Amino acid sequence: MAGASRHERAWVRGARAGSAADVEALFRHHWPLAYRAAYLVVHDAAAAEDIAQEAFLAAIRALDRFDRRRPFGPWLHRIVVNRAIDWARARRLRAEISDDGTIERAAAHTRPGAADSDARALAAGLSALSPEHRAVIVLRHLLEYTPGEIAELLELPRGTVNSRLRRGLDALREAIGEELQ
Amino acid sequence: MRLRDLLRELPIPEQDEARLRSFAVVRAAFAERKPTPQRRHYLKPALALAVIAAVVAAAASPPGRAVLGSLRKTVAGEKRAAPELFALPSGGRLLVNSPDGPWIVQTNGSRRRLGGYREAAWSPHGLYVVAARPDEVVAVSPKGDVHWTLPRPRVRFARWGGSRVDTRIAYLSGSRLHMVAGDGTGDVDLCGEPAAAPVAPAWRPGLPHVLAFATTAGRIYVLDADRCSLTWRSAPFAHPRTLRWSSDGRRLLLVTRDKLVAFGARARPLDVRFFRGVTDAAFRPRSHELALVRGGEVLALDADRLRAPPRRLFRVTGRIGQIAWSPNGRWLLVTWPAADQFLFVRSPRRIRAVSGITRQFGGGAFPSIGGWCCPP
Repeated sequence: MAGASRHERAWVRGARAGSAADVEALFRHHWPLAYRAAYLVVHDAAAAEDIAQEAFLAAIRALDRFDRRRPFGPWLHRIVVNRAIDWARARRLRAEISDDGTIERAAAHTRPGAADSDARALAAGLSALSPEHRAVIVLRHLLEYTPGEIAELLELPRGTVNSRLRRGLDALREAIGEELQ
Repeated sequence: MRLRDLLRELPIPEQDEARLRSFAVVRAAFAERKPTPQRRHYLKPALALAVIAAVVAAAASPPGRAVLGSLRKTVAGEKRAAPELFALPSGGRLLVNSPDGPWIVQTNGSRRRLGGYREAAWSPHGLYVVAARPDEVVAVSPKGDVHWTLPRPRVRFARWGGSRVDTRIAYLSGSRLHMVAGDGTGDVDLCGEPAAAPVAPAWRPGLPHVLAFATTAGRIYVLDADRCSLTWRSAPFAHPRTLRWSSDGRRLLLVTRDKLVAFGARARPLDVRFFRGVTDAAFRPRSHELALVRGGEVLALDADRLRAPPRRLFRVTGRIGQIAWSPNGRWLLVTWPAADQFLFVRSPRRIRAVSGITRQFGGGAFPSIGGWCCPP
């Protein structure tokens, strides 16, 4: 982890100086999780792509203002998750025709077997949650932030984060039918 | 069961394609960024001076003088050009954006400068003009009176749409798409849509207020702006350049760096044609016929038969800037920066050229066209 953060600081330093290779390294390192996090919150591949991409574009634009002593990941994840929540809220308020795959369809791509049913159940469980609940689940269990860090990232009271986590996990546990860690 | 593993292993559609597309956009954005200055380099100015000295020396030599002579001939333009824009060949009024600010040219050739604005565009019936200052949207009358202003950061591509009595203006503030009513009230970040590419949004003619815009991912979004309802959203098309509606609102053309994409009423394009190098496009009013600028050529193509061979309407030496149809669709204005001319083209044999354009619109750089609007 320390090695990764050392690399990350070097990439950020290189990117600020104009190195395209260092930008590519940052992108390769962070994009997959950023895209996955956005997708798990918005349930729309096109929107997740736009959100992750915009987050990187925002990061590129703000490189000169970025505090190099701080890690790049949380900064990027804050942008991604907050934009994903905004997008999901906006979509709830409007009718939309989407021809993109949904998370349920994604789960159908898994190979048959136990993992398949878990993925389907997880997809169904996530779909039933609100975007705000999905966001804290994603931050805690995909990106592995502590509740305190999530509270800071989303600018929420820590109690709110804990209650959303608890309710979210309860709902997922019901959907999957197994104990979750 | 560990939730982390389940979340990390849940299959996500189009992940690889999305990664490649996004990286292309991020790389392009990074290439445009100016890196943080590290230290001063003295080599580049020295090299530039050396190059200038070499060019001057070459130009002074007899072969060099010959080359310069041929260059002057190339950019001399249409020989029988009028020295002034005495009149527009067809009705309507022309909006010209110069470094000095926008100018309105009346049918009889009289010109009025509106003020220190940029990127001006007509309202749907030419009653007003919307323009930008670096951090402000401004609506002005054709006489130059300021109707209203709206301070917003990094304003670009303000476009006015709607009917005679109910209009909206869309513009970009940075990469955010905004909409404001025609009286300057009710400004909103439009429906929280994704960041917009640096391409002018396009209003479908008439009502309801339907807007098309391109996102940074190259997707085209078409939405009912008043209800915030997405009508459709296309697949991504890299490097979008221009969006144009036909005057009946039934065709939308997207020009990218290497494609022409014609849309109808849904997200799936009616046709896509690989066609590199188109820099401007315009639908002829009341038809689906397109005029396209590619290098020094103006080509004609039917948007309903995009794969048909294009007809060459016109050709010049050097590059063409922009094109604009007259309101009646009979004349095509072609800007020719290398010759400092406007060409009004009715057919290859019927061309009216006007020279000295830069001087006529305040000097500085060659101006651009903000639109050829509706007869009064």
